[in-house]
Amino acid sequence: MNSSLTGTICAKRLTKTFGNKTAVNGIDFTIEPGRVTGFLGPNGAGKSTTMRMILGLDAPTSGTVTVNGHRYADSPAPLREIGGLLEAHAVHPGRSARDHLRWMAASNGIPTTRVGEVLELVGLESVAGQRAGRFSLGMGQRLGIAAALIGDPPIVMLDEPVNGLDPEGVRWVRSLARQLADEGKTVFVSSHLMSEMSLMADHLIVIGRGEVLADSPIQDFMAEHASSYVRVKSPQSTDVEALLWGRGLDVVRVDDELRVQGLDAPAIGELVGSNGMLLHELTLVRSSLEDAFMELTADSVEYHARAGVAA
Amino acid sequence: MSTLVAAPSSTSLGRTVKSEWIKLASIRSTWWTALAMVVLGAGFTTIISGVVAGDIASGKSGDSPGEYITQGLIFSQISAVVIGALVVTSEYGTGLIRSTLAATPIRSTVLAAKALVLSGFLFVVGLVTAFAGYFGGNAFFRHQGIGISLGDPHILRSLIGAGLYMAGLGVLAAAIGLLVRSTAAAISIGLALIFIIGQVVQLIPGTFGEWVTKLMPGNAGPAIVVPVDFGEHMLGPWTGFAVYVAEIAVLSMAALALFRKRDA
Ligand SMILES: Nc1ncnc2c1ncn2[C@@H]1O[C@H](COP(=O)(O)OP(=O)(O)OP(=O)(O)O)[C@@H](O)[C@H]1O
Ligand SMILES: [Mg+2]
Repeated sequence: MNSSLTGTICAKRLTKTFGNKTAVNGIDFTIEPGRVTGFLGPNGAGKSTTMRMILGLDAPTSGTVTVNGHRYADSPAPLREIGGLLEAHAVHPGRSARDHLRWMAASNGIPTTRVGEVLELVGLESVAGQRAGRFSLGMGQRLGIAAALIGDPPIVMLDEPVNGLDPEGVRWVRSLARQLADEGKTVFVSSHLMSEMSLMADHLIVIGRGEVLADSPIQDFMAEHASSYVRVKSPQSTDVEALLWGRGLDVVRVDDELRVQGLDAPAIGELVGSNGMLLHELTLVRSSLEDAFMELTADSVEYHARAGVAA
Repeated sequence: MSTLVAAPSSTSLGRTVKSEWIKLASIRSTWWTALAMVVLGAGFTTIISGVVAGDIASGKSGDSPGEYITQGLIFSQISAVVIGALVVTSEYGTGLIRSTLAATPIRSTVLAAKALVLSGFLFVVGLVTAFAGYFGGNAFFRHQGIGISLGDPHILRSLIGAGLYMAGLGVLAAAIGLLVRSTAAAISIGLALIFIIGQVVQLIPGTFGEWVTKLMPGNAGPAIVVPVDFGEHMLGPWTGFAVYVAEIAVLSMAALALFRKRDA
């Protein structure tokens, strides 16, 4: 294993088509250890397809994806290298949670003692002997996470892990992701909710219609896409604009309003007032991350809800 | 890409066999179906033997006890097909196949491990069924003074052959399961192949029809299970078994080729 590539997932021109439908369209990315990388995109964006290709379940139509520097199938014990939770619960309903983890451990030469450890870690010890078919959605999700952790892998990949979890479970997944990343592991988590990602991720890859739309640290993403500004309206807007420009502030004119960044609203108000100019409006406007995400993916959303169909 | 798949290493095969065995043994339906195999197979052999023993002993029937001593295994075939098909199709039905392939990405290793575990398990259950049927049925024959001894020609071969035949049937059903990926379809096709198509081809006229009939897996395979010579209508025991194994091998190779090519 090339040590500089340990803990990375690396996609190069990765493409997957189903018939004439392109699910993933030549994407490139490198996922690094020690942080939580969010994989964000609307429904049908290609997140799950990408993750299936990472695990060698779907063969790429073209391009490559490597885990720890090599193809997934080339690993002699892949569960020790990367643990994946896939969207569909890949569990037999007639088998107990413990037996499910036991066969997985056996397949990769993982000591059986690890089964008890991960059951405890996800809080399923008390129901370990029950058939997985009787599990609630949340318990199934916990079992899936236990399975992902069975080989104590340096990379953990979770496809929509908070689906079906109650608030307590959601918080648990968040802190688990954080804990794993703090231990130096690579954590790759998909979601279609920006709000979820903003609470969990350090780094964000935004995907829409099979293409990478953004790949940046979450702070940069916020700064770039979700910055707040002060809306200024004035009957002397040209003069106000010149004044604020003169102070080195960032001013953008949109119709009759000025969008100002670099100074807070009270300070702008004092500055304008002390120069004898009139103000009609002075408002702090916060653009939420959710809005930023919507805006970014607006052109790439697969399934738009159609408004007003009934009318 | 899939043509570059490395040959399965023995260690990975060993681990996968172990995990496949845990899978098979940890599902309750496996044990119920195996029990059904023993009860149906041994039960019918015993009942049929009980029904015919008197007539054979009195000379009213020209048959021999050997013709009946493995008869009940006809019904055991159903269980073997069900267990074999489910080992593959239940994984597609539940999505478990993705966990399996994530754990063991080399498709040939997965198929080999499933085949080994299935054939080992069904060999043992088939053997138990055949011996239980022998003891049950032979009780009636012995009562009429026409008992069969395990030392009689071909008896031991046919009982062990029953285990071998069931082992093969499980692998055959698993291969069909891999091709169609649906429990209902795999079991229907498997049972139809053994119970219906194998009989219908007899209608094909001439020597060609005779050969097609003899070569059908459900007709060639059982040659090793019957201790008596059915002459022209059946292949010899080992010839028949060889044909049967070759057919399963070809089907498994086709299934593997598709398994490698298709997304999970
Ligand atoms: N096996 C398949 N056969 C045909 N089309 C598929 C298949 N799998 C995915 N697709 C299509 O590929 C596109 C991407 O699907 P994918 O499941 O990867 O999206 P996603 O980002 O995971 O969406 P979601 O948030 O809904 O889970 C979709 O248009 C989907 O319909
Ligand atoms: Mg998905």
